[in-house]
Amino acid sequence: MIDWNLALKIFTFGLSAVFGSLAILIGAIYAFGKILKNIEKEGN
Amino acid sequence: MLDMVMTTGVVHLTVGNLIMWLIAFFFIYLAITKNYEPLLLVPIGFGILIVNLPLTYLMQEGEGLLWKFYHYGLEWEVIPPLIFLGLGALTDFGPMIANPKTLILGAGAQFGVYVAFFGALILGFKIPEACSIGIIGGADGPTTIFTTVHLAPHLLGATAVAAYSYMSLVPIIQPPIMRLLTTEKERKIKMRQLRPVSKKEKILFPLVTVMVICLIVPASAPLMAMFMLGNLFKECGVVKRLSDAASNELMNIVTILLGISVGATMSAEHFLKPEVILVFIMGLIAFAFSTAAGILLAKFMNLFFKEKINPLIGSAGVSAVPMAARVSQVVGSKADPKNYLLMHAMGPNVAGVIGTVVAAGVFIALAG
Repeated sequence: MIDWNLALKIFTFGLSAVFGSLAILIGAIYAFGKILKNIEKEGN
Repeated sequence: MLDMVMTTGVVHLTVGNLIMWLIAFFFIYLAITKNYEPLLLVPIGFGILIVNLPLTYLMQEGEGLLWKFYHYGLEWEVIPPLIFLGLGALTDFGPMIANPKTLILGAGAQFGVYVAFFGALILGFKIPEACSIGIIGGADGPTTIFTTVHLAPHLLGATAVAAYSYMSLVPIIQPPIMRLLTTEKERKIKMRQLRPVSKKEKILFPLVTVMVICLIVPASAPLMAMFMLGNLFKECGVVKRLSDAASNELMNIVTILLGISVGATMSAEHFLKPEVILVFIMGLIAFAFSTAAGILLAKFMNLFFKEKINPLIGSAGVSAVPMAARVSQVVGSKADPKNYLLMHAMGPNVAGVIGTVVAAGVFIALAG
């Protein structure tokens, strides 16, 4: 007997985790890129 | 005399053994003559051959040589993370950092994982088995092995071979799907040249990534941590010896152990079952859906972004690095020989590796 509740939980949490974590990474890349650019500007 | 004859393997041969020999020879043939994933298919093929020689007891629990490789290498989760260490030391995240929105394509291409997951459930597989089958769609061999060892070790031979077979067949499987889902005009879309990425950004990336991913999905830590450590070795520039060792000697050693251990799980009594055929069919479906989802997501993103993405790079979101990115380049250059998509496709390609590891982490956390 398949536990469809668990299957749906795996699907929803799995897909959200994949998109969510990669979306946070995108944000982090943009943010750190800007911070590094500003630091370099100040250095110059 | 009869006792002596009975100690030889010859009289204990079964039809199953002979079939597995043919499969072993086929893999070795594909590796040598067709150059299909030779680094893996040669040791896997050889492993299949020797484990199907009767009375050798190479996979006898606690005794056999190959069982020790399998137990301490795979069951103890040593080999797949070490492969990821080497992969990290070989991976350039520059194209992805230069165009971060391509990360979304790497996420989209995990869709096939869940299609195969539900497909396997409908076919009667249990949830842990369905997870192991679904992850084939991520087109990442070590992650497939890592997940299967955790959740359904009896399917290891089938899922590992399916994953590596489909990875080597990327240039055959993907192009028809890519052409079917894109117009000539879309295939000709030219993308802006990527900006140069600074060394500081490249050093920060593995540190930030390991923190983000492992905080969200802790179960993915063994693979993600080693992947990012390898990349930090490469990018920091002060441990060239470690970076070289991880990407060359160590990677080669663990590849040998991985291949022969996977082959060793494919004894006739474990492999010759109808469910193995279903694993291969579901794996192919997963792979096709992942390819399609990456392309369709790129087309969807084009509805919102001013700067258009060539949808062909979406298919590179399946992890098979760098083969899937090369396929994007080849199909794109057929539409426009002056269009260079390779570096653009590397973004979703390496993002796909991260996406597959996250999907595997969730499978292990919830179904393990």
